[in-house]
Amino acid sequence: MDLLDLRVYGDVTVADVLIVVAVILFAVILAKVVTLNLRRALADKIKRDQLELLTKIVYWSIVVIALISVAPILGLNLSGLLVAGGVAGIVIGFASQSVVSNLVSGLFLMIEKPVRLGDQVEIEGISGFIEDIRIMSTIVRTYDGLYVRIPNERVFTSNIVNYTGNVARRFEYRIGIKYNDDVDKAMEIIREVVEKHPFVLKHPKPDVFVEDLGDNAVILSVRMWAPATEWFGVRMELLRDIKKKLEENGIEIPFPQRVVWFANELELKK
Amino acid sequence: MYGVYELQNFHLKIRDLELGIFEENGFRIYRRGDLKKVVVAESGRVVVNPVEPVNLPKNITRFLLIEFDKPMVVEPKSNGKISLTFPIEIAVILAGKKSFEVLDVFSFVEPKYTLYGDPKNGVVCRYWRSEIFEEEEDYVKGRLEVEISNSSSEWVEVEKLVFDVYGMKIYYGESVVAFAEVRILSEKVAETEFVDRRIGKKSLELYTARKIPMVGKKFVMEWGF
Repeated sequence: MDLLDLRVYGDVTVADVLIVVAVILFAVILAKVVTLNLRRALADKIKRDQLELLTKIVYWSIVVIALISVAPILGLNLSGLLVAGGVAGIVIGFASQSVVSNLVSGLFLMIEKPVRLGDQVEIEGISGFIEDIRIMSTIVRTYDGLYVRIPNERVFTSNIVNYTGNVARRFEYRIGIKYNDDVDKAMEIIREVVEKHPFVLKHPKPDVFVEDLGDNAVILSVRMWAPATEWFGVRMELLRDIKKKLEENGIEIPFPQRVVWFANELELKK
Repeated sequence: MYGVYELQNFHLKIRDLELGIFEENGFRIYRRGDLKKVVVAESGRVVVNPVEPVNLPKNITRFLLIEFDKPMVVEPKSNGKISLTFPIEIAVILAGKKSFEVLDVFSFVEPKYTLYGDPKNGVVCRYWRSEIFEEEEDYVKGRLEVEISNSSSEWVEVEKLVFDVYGMKIYYGESVVAFAEVRILSEKVAETEFVDRRIGKKSLELYTARKIPMVGKKFVMEWGF
């Protein structure tokens, strides 16, 4: 008897199994080639998150179609599977509750889109860039370069702070100057430095005002808006520029100090 | 000064700024002030022309907001023309073998950005302030001729216009000029668009040279003007 005609189970022979393996392998290779070409063709035409979603849909569609088409060769009756699927679904559902929960959360995350690829976020105290939104989990690259996998169920039920969700965001400095210094001059210098920076937005207008008369300094508050993608760079550059410009103009940022009054005049020991 | 130059003889002085491709230790070096780039090419041309003003200090938007020095009031059901200015950014582009590469972009204007709309749904725009009927200035600001039509039945006050610069056609010759149309649809909504009116030599469009696909070039101003 020929080896290929050897029965594995029922009417399924070794040849059938080999055909199925070959078809699935071919489908996987075809899916990889198609998605690779899709990436090449659309990389600079559509957004990265949309491209990722599209390539995943195309990849899994090809693989699933191949699996469905070869199922009859293995003697799998799909209509029977559908009937059995109802019962099996309940059993599998209970057995894999967290898996299903993550899967459903993943689908809702893809529909609701509270975060997109490349966004800067904070989820459950983890801050970083969204690297990938998978069907079961979301991958975050923290600012110090660590790979963090968060199950989608937790992402979906957590408070998400998306730092780049809006096109612009506000940030603030609190700057202390000496009581002897000219407050108006200091505010004018700060306003000039802030307005000169290209990425400090013209509207909404930056604000500079006296916020507090502190123990050791007059506290000036500086509030400004910047494009969400640029705010951190602007924040780093501006504080340095403000300090340098204030110092150039003789305005000092004071150290903590305390004036001490003695009830009796001090006598030097002889 | 704008135009097409041979790679070997490219040397320019624009205002006080010198730029060009120079031979150094057997290499070709593009130099503008402190900026240096090595150019590995035997032949080719260098195109110097004004481009869409959204590249400096880096490209973060495709929109240009022009704020008027004083508001303008437009009669209902009427048409009119105004002349504004826009900031000039000059690109140095390497061209050859049917492809382009942007070597450098510089400007004599300090760039500034602003927000149009709210932080959630609005857009970040390159900011420019212009007088109505302002004269252009060589290498600093170009002329933008705008046709405004008010199809609403109300008087409207216009203080600013926002354009999508990805469809901007800039022409140079005696001066740098671009054209645009603004259709005021209601008291709150207007549609703006750069249009093509051939006059002089046409600048190479950066966003066509970079093969960035353009999806519509009209902009709907829905947060007032």
